[in-house]
Amino acid sequence: MAEISQTAAAPATGEPATAQVRPAKSRKWVGYVAFLPFLLVIVGYELLPLAQLVLDSLIGKESGTLGIENFVKVFTTPLYQQSIINSVWISLVSAVVGIVVSFLAARFAYESSERVRSAFTMVLNMMSNFSGVPLAFAFMILMGNSGVLTILGRQWNIPFLADFDLYTGEGLLVLYIYFQIPLATLLLLPAFSGIKKSWREAAIILQATPLDYWFKIVIPNLMPSILGTLSVLFSNALAAYATAFAIVMNNYALLPLQITSKFKGDVQIDAATGGALAVVLIILMVVCTIINNYFTKRASKGREII
Amino acid sequence: MSLKTRAAKTSAPDKKTPLAAKIFLGIVSLYLLVPFLTTLVYSLFVEWTDVLPSGFTLRNYAELFTNSTFWLSIGRTLILCLVSVAITIVLLLLAMYVVVAVNRKLGRFMQFVCMIPYALQGVILSIGIISLYTGTGTILSNRMFMLFGAYTILVLPYIYQGIRNALNAIDANMLIQAAEMLGCGRFRAYVQVVLPNIVSGILVSSLLAESIVFGDFVLANNIAGTNYQNIQVFLQANMARSSGLSSAIVVIIFLVVAAVTAIVLKLQRSSQNR
Repeated sequence: MAEISQTAAAPATGEPATAQVRPAKSRKWVGYVAFLPFLLVIVGYELLPLAQLVLDSLIGKESGTLGIENFVKVFTTPLYQQSIINSVWISLVSAVVGIVVSFLAARFAYESSERVRSAFTMVLNMMSNFSGVPLAFAFMILMGNSGVLTILGRQWNIPFLADFDLYTGEGLLVLYIYFQIPLATLLLLPAFSGIKKSWREAAIILQATPLDYWFKIVIPNLMPSILGTLSVLFSNALAAYATAFAIVMNNYALLPLQITSKFKGDVQIDAATGGALAVVLIILMVVCTIINNYFTKRASKGREII
Repeated sequence: MSLKTRAAKTSAPDKKTPLAAKIFLGIVSLYLLVPFLTTLVYSLFVEWTDVLPSGFTLRNYAELFTNSTFWLSIGRTLILCLVSVAITIVLLLLAMYVVVAVNRKLGRFMQFVCMIPYALQGVILSIGIISLYTGTGTILSNRMFMLFGAYTILVLPYIYQGIRNALNAIDANMLIQAAEMLGCGRFRAYVQVVLPNIVSGILVSSLLAESIVFGDFVLANNIAGTNYQNIQVFLQANMARSSGLSSAIVVIIFLVVAAVTAIVLKLQRSSQNR
């Protein structure tokens, strides 16, 4: 998007700009002054804090020298290993479940009338805001130890509801899936408008079964959007903190919880371990972002050809 | 309403909602709505220990609205929302002037640094800031400085997108050149010609940013904690103490954010129609 608009605008502005800058060359420096406040804040509250975390992670907790000591510790301590595994697992499962449900929802919404679709989109938009601590609280009322559904499950003898434990990994998973669905559907819906009606007609004429049509035409065509959305969901779950904290506090092996407790614990601050864990999370997030950028570009390219 | 649906039908006669679609979308909507609706009902009744709740009451809301801690936390949240979004808007508008009128090459850099917070989100941002400034003994180690700095960065991607799209839409560069030919200075052209044209574009993204700050728990909890309780931290602190009161807080938070979202959607739709 940005490259397109920039390159498109460049030839139009290049010539007159150079022609006009010449007479006021001394004033050109004055123009940059407006950039300074932005630069200061970016450096002070975005770039330096990131650099600080990287530095924290590289200064060994015991030795006090530069090295990968903290990373060795993170990858060999069971609690931290488990945190990474749990974080990746819960993010992956919630992203995959979220994408399957959202794909079906987006598909059905696309096939619906304007009225049904806009009502459904309204629900998605509203409920995509329902996350974090309020969402955690709502699920406590619903499925907590004396939650409404838990009581119903006991009275009507539904063991799944009666014995459901919200305060575990599975409980978190249910919550994570909840907040993935509206986000994923909102991201996937626009992609469906690229599916042409004539494709279906063409497929039927060529004697494709409905299954062929979906798995050989629609899904491959939407694949860049699906995978791009999947990586957004994955990183969304990976970084989620409020929901998990409200449910299990710091008593669960999950990357964001463990990182935060190292810097803001009741116990001593351990910037070395926390920094190393943070760098692991950053790397996971950056990989997600790169994957997403790649697929977003492919998705928009595919559309241009059509 | 009936007129509208008839119009929709005539424009797209083949678009009738299939039954399967109705059922599936209905189930998904129900799934998404149930947690909130349960909380709403819960907040309006004395107890819910049986299948149905009993004893309708507004007591929870009365208690909440007479609680001064609640109003203080709402006030703090509003200050955080308004001040940090305003700072970000001013910073970005100034910086964008340089990109549009002085040096286009900075656009790439700006896009990159403005997208970093989107990729990293709250946890990393907050602990990075804590780790950098805590215990430095300067004014920067003041929790309020850290908090406003963090929120300014948090909303950066959203406001940046809004401003950039708005600037692209009106072709700001051409406007400035046109004004310059008529003898107007570049900065004056930016302030007097470009800015009035992008106000509505900035408005939508700013509202979105407000709702993000309003819904934030991570930064407030990690950086300020109980020193400067926002509404989310207030809710978290009350959750174990009183579920009735907490359910009322959840309802209030949701209604505020939903109202902002409704305004955003309305503004977006009206700008699309234009």
